[in-house]
Amino acid sequence: MTGSARRPASPPSHSDARPLPRRSMAVCALIGAALMAAVDEIVFHQILNWHHFYDRSTPAVGLLADGLLHTAELLGLVVGFVLYADLRRRGTLSPAHARAGLFLGLGGFQLFDGIVDHKVLRLHQIRYGVDLLPYDLAWNVAGLVLLGIGAVLAVRAGRAPLSAEPAR
Amino acid sequence: MTVEHLHSTGTGPGPAAVLAATAALSAAVGYLLAAARLRRRGDVWPRRRDACFVAGGVALAAALVTPPGGPFTAHMVRHLVVGMVAPLLLVLARPLTLVLRVPLPRPARRALLRVAHSRPAGWLVCPPLAALLDVGGLWLLYRTPLWAAVHERPLLDAAVHVHVFAAGLLFSFAVCRLDPVRRRWGLFSRGTALLGAGAAHAVLAKSFWAAPPLGTDVATADLRTGALLMYYGGDLVEIALAVVLAVQWYAAGGRALARDRRPRPSSPVRRSARVTGGYAQGTTREGVAQRPAEAGR
Repeated sequence: MTGSARRPASPPSHSDARPLPRRSMAVCALIGAALMAAVDEIVFHQILNWHHFYDRSTPAVGLLADGLLHTAELLGLVVGFVLYADLRRRGTLSPAHARAGLFLGLGGFQLFDGIVDHKVLRLHQIRYGVDLLPYDLAWNVAGLVLLGIGAVLAVRAGRAPLSAEPAR
Repeated sequence: MTVEHLHSTGTGPGPAAVLAATAALSAAVGYLLAAARLRRRGDVWPRRRDACFVAGGVALAAALVTPPGGPFTAHMVRHLVVGMVAPLLLVLARPLTLVLRVPLPRPARRALLRVAHSRPAGWLVCPPLAALLDVGGLWLLYRTPLWAAVHERPLLDAAVHVHVFAAGLLFSFAVCRLDPVRRRWGLFSRGTALLGAGAAHAVLAKSFWAAPPLGTDVATADLRTGALLMYYGGDLVEIALAVVLAVQWYAAGGRALARDRRPRPSSPVRRSARVTGGYAQGTTREGVAQRPAEAGR
């Protein structure tokens, strides 16, 4: 991307734009969490029909938390993508940290969903009419694996010298 | 109360529904005429605003006269279109800006400006208050005896529909903040109001899965279809509203970035006169002070 160099009116944007590793990671973690929530909604609620929309055993506070969380996920998806676009346009995105953040978000949400939503708030279970243990284990282990990948990527990103995508 | 009673006006459009649908379509025609007039004069008025307004008007009219599905589902379709989809489309078309730009008789114009700049208008568009009026009204309707009363009295039914539409319009208006009114609330309060309203809407929709509105007997399948429709339909409109906010934020950031990157001339740069619909220019034809110091921040 050499567009900025060809435009004499705008000074080279690299000079003042330095990668923001923490912001890149946080923004992509937000996108990751919201994406995982969307996948959960689409795959397990809609396609497989494993989760129940509302299984009636949910306490009121769980219902309230669920409503808030669900809306926050929707808004998080939009906010995450627009913040990501902003990082790119300013040339402050650090791709390595962004990748790490994405996995941390994916795994973090999966684990949160598996423990807080399914077990603590008891919003719904993974599947009904089956022995839940293997499902719960698979669910939470998957979350841990994703978190682990994110952690490894984060450590690697921290060691490598900072490089940012050039601003557009 | 039986299922058949549930929506007496839903079986065939009543005279009030036909009247309201006609009004919606007339408003759409009026908008098109006004926009055409602006364009003839040389104003830039994007076509997509025309498309939004016409889509909103048509959706409103269609929802009022032809509700599909079972009685509760039909009610929910109507609720979604009348209270959420149509208001958003209408607000995106910036109707107030348009009306203030077309040549109006002086007293009418002055009255309109007085209302738009009045203190109560400034408070009404306070996003949390608009959210409360909108979703709070829904909770009142469905979780109090109001729902049963509505089906006994057609006049009350009409009043509730008017409220659902007006409150939806107010909420979309407050969250999108596209038209000029006295107070310009910041992104934080608008985003928070959207979050709160969305959560209250989702909880209400989910609660229908287990319990119908107070004092009625709704077939389970109908109730559940209605609940799902309300939940996911509400999601779509919330995402659309969030996208409106996100695009505003992104565009404002882009303008700031462009200013920073531009070489500083000795005299202030004259902005292009092209009307993009934003409020970047100090004042416009409306004669409205577009930036009354963003006090809401």
